[in-house]
Amino acid sequence: MVRTAVFSSACGAPAPAPIVRVVSDSIDLDGLLTRFRGELAGTEDEAGLYQLQVAYLGKKGQVTALSKSLGSLAPEDRKAAGERINAVKRACEEEIAARAAELRSRARQRELARIEDVSAVRPRALGTFHPITQTRRALEQVFGELGFDIEDGPHVEFARFNFDDLNIGPDHPARDMADTFFVQPAAGSGRMVDELVLRTHTSPVQIRTMRARKPPIRIVALGTVFRRDDDATHSPMFHQIEGLCVDEGVSMADLRATLYRFVGAFFGRELEVRFRPSFFPFVEPGAEFDMQCPFCGGSGCSTCKSSGWIELGGSGMVHPAVFEACGIDPERYTGWAFGFGIDRMAMLMHQIHDLRLMFDGDIRFAEQFPC
Amino acid sequence: MLISRVWLKELLADAAGFDLGSIDDDGLTRALTGLGLEVEAVRATGAGLSEVVIADVAGIRPHPEADKLRIVDVSDGNQNVAVVCGAANVPAPGGKVLWARPGAVLPDGTQIGHRLVRGVSSPGMLCSETELDIGPDGDGIVVLPGDAPAGRRLVDFVPAVMDTIIELSITPNRPDALGHVGVARDLAVKLNRAWRPSNRELPECPEDPGLVELRAPDRCGRYLGVAFVDARIGPSPLALRLRLHRLGLRPLSNVVDVTNLVMMQWGQPLHAFDRARLRGGKVVVRTARPGEPIVLLDGRTLALAPDDLVIADSESPMALAGVMGGEHSGVAADTTTLLLEAAWFEPAGIRRSARARGCATDSSHRFERGVDHGDGLTQACASACALLQEVAGAKPVAHCYPIGSRPAPRIIDLRPARTKLLLGMEVPQPEAKRILVGVGVLVDDADAARWRCTAPSHRPDLEREVDLIDEIVRHHGLDRLPMQAAVPHAPSRADRRTRARADAVRGLADALREAGLHEHVAFAFTRPEAVAAVVDDTPNERTIVLANPMRGEASVLRTHLLGGLLEAVAVNLARHGRAIELFEIGRVYRWPEHTSGGGPKRVADCCAPAWTGKTSAWVAPKDDSFADGPDPEPIEERTRAAVVRASGSADNTHLDARSVAADLLGALLRLGYRARTRATRRPVPWLHPGAQAEIVRDDGTVLGRYGLVHPEVLEAFALAGDHRVAYGELWLEHISERRSSSFVALPRFPATSRDASFDIVLTVPSSRILEIVDHAARLGQEGDDPPRVVRGDRGDGAIEIIDDYRGEEVAAGRRALTLRLHYRAQARSVTDAEVQAVHLSIITRVCDELRSLDPDVRTR
Repeated sequence: MVRTAVFSSACGAPAPAPIVRVVSDSIDLDGLLTRFRGELAGTEDEAGLYQLQVAYLGKKGQVTALSKSLGSLAPEDRKAAGERINAVKRACEEEIAARAAELRSRARQRELARIEDVSAVRPRALGTFHPITQTRRALEQVFGELGFDIEDGPHVEFARFNFDDLNIGPDHPARDMADTFFVQPAAGSGRMVDELVLRTHTSPVQIRTMRARKPPIRIVALGTVFRRDDDATHSPMFHQIEGLCVDEGVSMADLRATLYRFVGAFFGRELEVRFRPSFFPFVEPGAEFDMQCPFCGGSGCSTCKSSGWIELGGSGMVHPAVFEACGIDPERYTGWAFGFGIDRMAMLMHQIHDLRLMFDGDIRFAEQFPC
Repeated sequence: MLISRVWLKELLADAAGFDLGSIDDDGLTRALTGLGLEVEAVRATGAGLSEVVIADVAGIRPHPEADKLRIVDVSDGNQNVAVVCGAANVPAPGGKVLWARPGAVLPDGTQIGHRLVRGVSSPGMLCSETELDIGPDGDGIVVLPGDAPAGRRLVDFVPAVMDTIIELSITPNRPDALGHVGVARDLAVKLNRAWRPSNRELPECPEDPGLVELRAPDRCGRYLGVAFVDARIGPSPLALRLRLHRLGLRPLSNVVDVTNLVMMQWGQPLHAFDRARLRGGKVVVRTARPGEPIVLLDGRTLALAPDDLVIADSESPMALAGVMGGEHSGVAADTTTLLLEAAWFEPAGIRRSARARGCATDSSHRFERGVDHGDGLTQACASACALLQEVAGAKPVAHCYPIGSRPAPRIIDLRPARTKLLLGMEVPQPEAKRILVGVGVLVDDADAARWRCTAPSHRPDLEREVDLIDEIVRHHGLDRLPMQAAVPHAPSRADRRTRARADAVRGLADALREAGLHEHVAFAFTRPEAVAAVVDDTPNERTIVLANPMRGEASVLRTHLLGGLLEAVAVNLARHGRAIELFEIGRVYRWPEHTSGGGPKRVADCCAPAWTGKTSAWVAPKDDSFADGPDPEPIEERTRAAVVRASGSADNTHLDARSVAADLLGALLRLGYRARTRATRRPVPWLHPGAQAEIVRDDGTVLGRYGLVHPEVLEAFALAGDHRVAYGELWLEHISERRSSSFVALPRFPATSRDASFDIVLTVPSSRILEIVDHAARLGQEGDDPPRVVRGDRGDGAIEIIDDYRGEEVAAGRRALTLRLHYRAQARSVTDAEVQAVHLSIITRVCDELRSLDPDVRTR
């Protein structure tokens, strides 16, 4: 601002010719300086300082006017008078600069004396991802690093892909209307009511992938699935992850190793994985798999109900009938598959006990899971 | 399936010479779990009953204070006591009852001691079956046969009172494990014991070919019919009743109890007909006649169909075969002649019948999974015959054992090398053979590389080589599987488009979250009215309707995300008063357009897999209905991203629908899309008519819409019509990947701005004015490197709206809209004069253009 004040006198419209008065010895330069100093002491801000500068040192200023009147003096007097005027001018400039510095300093002190209490804050309103999305992304990340592609398929699926090609025959109990949502064909479409279903698992993605691609295949499919169940631990809509690996020479030992690696990478600690024999029509041998409880490391806690183990899901070696349905030679290729619930995993990780809370959209629920 | 440890112990001792006593309950649980017989619950019984003894009734006296109570003098041989009893069935002196002495603890936790009952002290009590949890009868006290030894403790008299009941969850492939014998056989193999098959003989009695007429041999593979006389119907002995009670079955009468007990032992359901009630004295196994009626045991009357298999007498159906008996088929108190049925019915047929008739019974459960059609059936029948003689005095007098189409023994080749390959571990061959033989497989290992195996009739699940490998690893132990390195030797092969799409969706979600929105996940199904409330055109028939919804409010698939978000807004409004800012990225569902309802008639008419965008590098197997190449999707599934912002309080007039557009535009920018907004070309009926607009890509493709939600739509979702809710959505089929940007040199010279203000009617949308200004600004200017309007396509100083004034000095229905334009030349600084000239010429053009929309337009 001071800089502006000093330089602004160089610009602007040309001034009309000055009315010059003869400067003589009789002019009271000391008085002028005294007057200047009086006014300077009265300035309190940049604006006042600028006005003062214009009044004394500007084009029409008092000191400038004196300089301009030098020409009317006798040549022998000019030099001495000029020196005196210049001395006054320098004194004015220096004192203005000093006053400016003083005003800045005072202003700085005033600014620093101000109290602006910033000790209590509210965090910026950040959005959140649903716990299912958070878990899903973490799973995608880990399986991506393990070399799996991520696939998905339609939610409304051909019963053939959801059941038949997965070795779940027409008489299998899972196809019961009590368990599976069927899509109502409109009159005249010629479709049967059992032709289209809301997929009951992500396993049809196995079929779609194996029909579309030749081995080697390593995929995970994550997505929404539907079953006719509704209570605190079962929702008619939930989310699953499915893994599939098909190649020559793939064994059940590979499956166990992969699950072990996954669990280790996902929970960031070494956790045992164990199999329990079980039955799923699309795998043989089939097994449920458990992991050591990530919260207590297997010593027993409330989450694992003191067992040290958490049940995760189902797995096994791809049934040759499934390969045959997809046109893959079961003699040449072997493969394994596994699946488990994403919602359950999310609930486990965040100790959410009622699944229904997950789907009603209460932002106070969402805010509890910022990451 | 409930399993009695005591019974299991008996069977293992008899058939495998193994004492289960050496394994505790935890060990047993682990062994069963290790076999794939999942233990759901374990319950110890009879623990507090050691002070319950058999007592002699010595006398009965009235209670001085109560008419309904009596004082019963009983003796356990050592002491005589007087016990107060309220039961009506106290036997006469000499009768045997169960006395819970002081110190006993009943299963419900009651501590038995001396208790004053209406002024009379009673040392303990006489107990009913329910009080001791040894049977279902709670009406009176237990009265034992006269030969029961007084003074004997109950747990010594019937040791099975002290038992451990294990609840197993049996997978559908294991019908053999639906009986104690199957579980014991599996355990014997696990415990490394040889199982000796039972070989009880069927009773010796003459054959009577007229007893059973098998008219549906394709539906019934074997039928063992045995006729009895001299049966005496009555209650079963305590031990038998107890066993059934422990296994969750209700003891009824001796004959029925025997059939149930054998079912729990062998997994083979049986049925005992009262032969006197069978017209013609025989049974006919046949399919039903159309509409033929039957009244079932549960009282329901059914009209049968030709697919139903029935057991009839010479006239009409007496039982729905394998599912449930008919009302009058079973034994009654006066029954003396029996016809015992032990059969193998074709599983799929039983399943169809049970399902069609809504009758799931213990019997159908086993038949539809496949009972043993071989030795197990014979043994079950023989056991039942012996027990019927024992407990009901029934004498077998005739038999008839017709055979229908019985499944042939299944021959399966097993290659030990394949076992190793599939499991990734070597199971020693003698061990593998021991396991297979143990579960009942006949193994011919003459060819060491290819064992010829014959699956036993009690294991219908053993069909292929992998099933035998499963048996081997199941018994050998899955915990022995090594953790072999599964090196990722397959590089990622996902279709580039699949991946790009997933990446774009992820980026969009990231941006919406960063905008402060909370992600909502709503159900994919909804109410039909919720779909009808938000339609773009006419209500359409493209909605997907569920054939079997759980509830009416979840009977159709959603066609929009708005409904789910509004429901979430309502939930939040009801619970708290905070601002509600939500987003959802999810799918909506419709029949493909060209099929206009009802869906595609042929698979070939289905949608191309639009959102998976998959290409086929490999031709899928040919098939009648599925074309080569990518598999179609049955319906149209589209992914939408939607944002809703609403105030949590009634004071929400400040809410501006542009806030959601800003969220969406910002998210698009994150993906590299410089989208713009404009007034909707066709009004969206579910948005406020005066507050709606659309989002378009630079090529003019509409990417989405936003605005204030129409008051009527709000009301359809239980919100107040005057509550302002801003909603916006993006259609992700048009946003399939992130776009990268290429560098444009930064401007080197400063820009100068000029404002222009238009007085114009409100019906001309500001987006239209901006379009006109933008168009005018693009027209060429004269001269070398003239000042040009800086356009906003790189985000640096677009044409801005700096004021939108309505009020004084502006007529009603009009506004003063002030725009700011920035001018810059490429290679030099511009002067005020030349900018002024260019600005004036642009504004003049704009005014000319606007005059066609509003003749009264003027600049201010």
